[in-house]
Amino acid sequence: MIVELGHYALVMALAISLLQSVLPVIGARRPDAALMEMAPAAAIASFIFVLLAFAALTVSYVTSDFSVQNVWENSHSLKPLIYKFSGVWGNHEGSMLLWILILVFFSALVALFGGNLPFSLKANVLAVQAWITAAFLFFVLLTSNPFQRLNPAPIEGRDLNPILQDIGLAIHPPLLYLGYVGFSICFSFAVAALIEGRIDAAWARWVRPWTLAAWTALTAGIAMGSYWAYYELGWGGWWFWDPVENASFMPWLAGTALLHSALVMEKREALKIWTVLLAIMTFSLSLLGTFLVRSGVLTSVHAFATDPLRGVFILGILVLFIGGAFSLFALRVQTLSQGGLFAPISREGALVFNNLFLTTATATVLVGTLYPLLLEAVTGAKISVGPPFFNLTFGPLMIPLLLAVPFGPLLAWKRGDLWAVCQRLYFAAGLALLTALAVTYFATGAPVLAALGIAIGIWLIAGAITDIALRSGAGRVAVPIMWQRFKGLPRSAFGSALAHLGLGISVIGIVTVTAFSTEEVTTLKPGETMVSGPFALQFEGLKPNTGPNYTELQGRFIVSRDGNRFATITSAKRIYTARRMPTTEAGILTLGPSQLYVALGDETPDGGTVVRVWWKPWVTFIWIGAVIMSLGGITSLFDRRLRIGAPATRKATAVSAGQET
Amino acid sequence: MMFWVMAAIMTVAATTSLLVPLARRTKLQAAEKEFDAEVYHDQLREIDRDIESGLLTGEEAEYARAEVGRRLIKASKAASRKTVASSPLAGAARYVVIVFLPLMAVAGYLAIGSPGMPSQPLAARIQPPSNENSDIANLVAQAETHLASNPEDGRGWDVLAPVYFSLGRVQDSEIAYRNAIRLLGSTAPRQAGLGQSLFAQTGGIVTADVQAAFQAADDLEPGNPLSSFFLALGMAQEGKLVEARTAFSDLAGRSTPDAPWMPQVRLHLEELDKRIGQGGEEAVPGPDKEQVAAAAQMSDDERREMIGGIVAGLDERLRENPDDLEGWLRLIRSYMVLGEAEQAGDALNRALENFDAGSAGRQALTQAATQFGLAAEKVNQ
Amino acid sequence: MTRKQKRLAIIAGGVSVIGVAVILVLFALQEQIVYFHSPTDVVEKQVSPGTRIRLGGLVAENSVARGQGTTVEFAVTDTANTVSITYTGILPDLFREGQGVVVEGAFQPGNPLFVADSVLAKHDETYMPKEVADSLKKQGVWQGEEE
Repeated sequence: MIVELGHYALVMALAISLLQSVLPVIGARRPDAALMEMAPAAAIASFIFVLLAFAALTVSYVTSDFSVQNVWENSHSLKPLIYKFSGVWGNHEGSMLLWILILVFFSALVALFGGNLPFSLKANVLAVQAWITAAFLFFVLLTSNPFQRLNPAPIEGRDLNPILQDIGLAIHPPLLYLGYVGFSICFSFAVAALIEGRIDAAWARWVRPWTLAAWTALTAGIAMGSYWAYYELGWGGWWFWDPVENASFMPWLAGTALLHSALVMEKREALKIWTVLLAIMTFSLSLLGTFLVRSGVLTSVHAFATDPLRGVFILGILVLFIGGAFSLFALRVQTLSQGGLFAPISREGALVFNNLFLTTATATVLVGTLYPLLLEAVTGAKISVGPPFFNLTFGPLMIPLLLAVPFGPLLAWKRGDLWAVCQRLYFAAGLALLTALAVTYFATGAPVLAALGIAIGIWLIAGAITDIALRSGAGRVAVPIMWQRFKGLPRSAFGSALAHLGLGISVIGIVTVTAFSTEEVTTLKPGETMVSGPFALQFEGLKPNTGPNYTELQGRFIVSRDGNRFATITSAKRIYTARRMPTTEAGILTLGPSQLYVALGDETPDGGTVVRVWWKPWVTFIWIGAVIMSLGGITSLFDRRLRIGAPATRKATAVSAGQET
Repeated sequence: MMFWVMAAIMTVAATTSLLVPLARRTKLQAAEKEFDAEVYHDQLREIDRDIESGLLTGEEAEYARAEVGRRLIKASKAASRKTVASSPLAGAARYVVIVFLPLMAVAGYLAIGSPGMPSQPLAARIQPPSNENSDIANLVAQAETHLASNPEDGRGWDVLAPVYFSLGRVQDSEIAYRNAIRLLGSTAPRQAGLGQSLFAQTGGIVTADVQAAFQAADDLEPGNPLSSFFLALGMAQEGKLVEARTAFSDLAGRSTPDAPWMPQVRLHLEELDKRIGQGGEEAVPGPDKEQVAAAAQMSDDERREMIGGIVAGLDERLRENPDDLEGWLRLIRSYMVLGEAEQAGDALNRALENFDAGSAGRQALTQAATQFGLAAEKVNQ
Repeated sequence: MTRKQKRLAIIAGGVSVIGVAVILVLFALQEQIVYFHSPTDVVEKQVSPGTRIRLGGLVAENSVARGQGTTVEFAVTDTANTVSITYTGILPDLFREGQGVVVEGAFQPGNPLFVADSVLAKHDETYMPKEVADSLKKQGVWQGEEE
């Protein structure tokens, strides 16, 4: 019964969101207070009903109810409990349900915490959210229903794809979707503002916390996905420029641009048109990503299942929303007034520079992702666009952007003094230069680009610290006062400094791994030793082992450096019983920020085992940097400026229905 | 029923939650621009803080204050406060909600849902489903998947073994019985089942293995008719005709006349009487003593070959003597055991030619066909 | 600078960045694109040695042979034609005879062997690389549930 109640709740959520799509818009136009006030109630109700549906599906997974087709296809009674939970979203239907859950979650947040929004804007925002909700609920109920039943129930399930049975995957999609789908709020704000034809600095202030929240989650989600692919796929790579990765990376790039342009709009009321456009584009890229991943048009590690009908359906949603939003934009763009003025050299100028490079970079990623699809559709030729393409296009665009980052926060609004800023940054520049020299000196034979890359990372870190130091009054006031000022700095100042610092750390990680990692592939017999980086690994042989739902052959390696044995690494070839599917469990030894990565291959006829070992210096910096960036986002979210109050006596509820009757 | 009660509660809850704001006589008393003004006030306060902490100085601070001030004035100018109340439209909207919400939810759900279908969590399905329509092959396949990952699940083997046997997968049923005995212990039904599986594989010969299994069953449950029957049959095949006859008549004495095995017992008694009367000579061609003894010694492959030879002989004989119902049944079963379903089907069709519709022979053949899952062209004619 | 000049400066800057990006993209598309071929394409079209391509098909039965150390030789077939591959490294988990696979690499001058530097197999039991599925469909071998 629980399953069917969940199914019913989902249909009910659709009915609610259909009403929520129409009535508040009418209310905002008339205006009618009751119709507008109905929007938050509907938003919260539809959140509760989608949550009920999601809970029902989760219960089916936990109790192994294989009369639910989705559970049968993706679960197994022996699966560890945590993967019964994560299995809910480890498949197409369930992950779309999660997508919708997060969508209505954000709507409910706006309903609950949107007290500082003008009534009509709030009503319209929630109505636009409901359009998206309704479209995706139709999609789920008609093409991807997770509540499809099987009678009689099969005895045992088919199990979740083993490479998805991982703690990383349990966390990755929810985080990613929080980001992806969170940008829907920005979209709804943009469309609502276009409907009302009124966009000003206050609008940017209202949108910013939502952008920030979505961006923070997306940053963490992408980092988590990257780390998952790194250790679970056993290929030792952390980013493949795979279309599915690009699908989440494009909204991130556009969202980062949006975060910065909204700042300009809030402070100076400039870049209004651009910011609205960017808000629409960011969520459009999220939708595009959903389409690419969920329609199965891609050949990619994530294409677990395909269904053409679904593809066409999402494509329809995509065209409807993107096309509709852009048409509305074109219709209203004339009525938007010009904003504040600024000189090219200014904080605004720097942020425009940031936006220019970020959006151009987004466009190159978009071209690289869609070109193979378009070419195949038009000419039938099949091509693959791999890392070389992106390195050649995306890479060069990032260099000027990264170089410019430390300047931005130091430039004054409206009209900046570039020379003065340069003088303030001489310390950071000197440090970066020294690093570059040191790298070329110590790492003999290191590519010039590597020295340059590490120097850029140091430049970013030092720039972020300089920013905070100068804001605290370093060099101008006494230390105790500096400390006072430091403590009094707005959280958002720390937030942006942390984000820029994290970016620097990630850059260093990326550059060192790209330039200095080593890879050895060899065949080892038990007792034999191989060398990787500064380490020697002695192979102890393979040993069978049994886990809860798999059997594996474990290979143990004793790691030594200069003859001192100090650790062991265990890597395994695993076979999951239910699907008879083999996977490679990489053995990873973390040494400070660096990692030694061991993957087992096949056994050779003469009793050896193929072994692949990477030495990845400073590889964890990549993800540590991303985590610091997210922390920056969280810090900014707690800035008191984002908690503006609502006007007093906002509303007076005169007579309640009870008294009336 | 319970489902619809719960669904009704959910529907009422949803409808009410939307009706409450619509029914309230809400008055929104604030100009839209006041919200903007609030933001600009906040921005001014922020600039003040920045000046205080020395982040903004002199001219820059003045510019910033002036700019935000201008925005504030602009917002305040437009902010003539007015009251937005609910209009008659809200009344219409209430009816829309009351009608649309339940209608859409119920109609939508009925179109795609399975109302009344219970949840079937694993815990409630430990018993294999008794649903008649269930696809046995499918269930067996799933049970096999389950056992592949849980080879130590004795209960699973125990349930599966007779299913295998009835499907004619006698080798699998032998393995299943052996596993069940190993994991859950020896019982008479399991030993007897094992014996039957083995017997079916030998093509109707009570080998030493078969005998051992039934002996074990008999020890565990003395007088079990099934084991008595096969032990007696074994004696007969070994040529111990008198002992066999005693055993059979003993069994007949213990059984009611309408017991299902009685026809077979009578048949054997008759035959034994004939053979004893003829001085032990074989009346019905069948595996002789040497063959039986040899079969017990052989490897599986050799035994299979030998059985194949016997079956071929039987087939040949039935071409000349097609009225032998027992013979046909044995032939069909033998082919099934050998895994030659096509041959079995062919034999079935040839057998059917010799028995008129409605005759007992035809019925027996049809029964055998269903038991083995054979599709006979003429069965239903 | 006047307002107009400022705006012009910004627009000029923007256009030049986008121009550079477009040139980079066009150049990269010219140089860094890898075409996908089936074994039949390779036999019919004569791919010139040194050109990087992706080659997809089924791993031919009984073709996998381990050579020296970590080198493996196998053949990729679309049932009509077959190409022999040599690869050094670790094969993916789901690499099996009779399964779909995509290899990337190039032919060496004067050698019929295709030297692969990466081998991609499908990632689960129900998934086949799309290119492989398409080209096998063309050969009429693959009966997927699609279409």
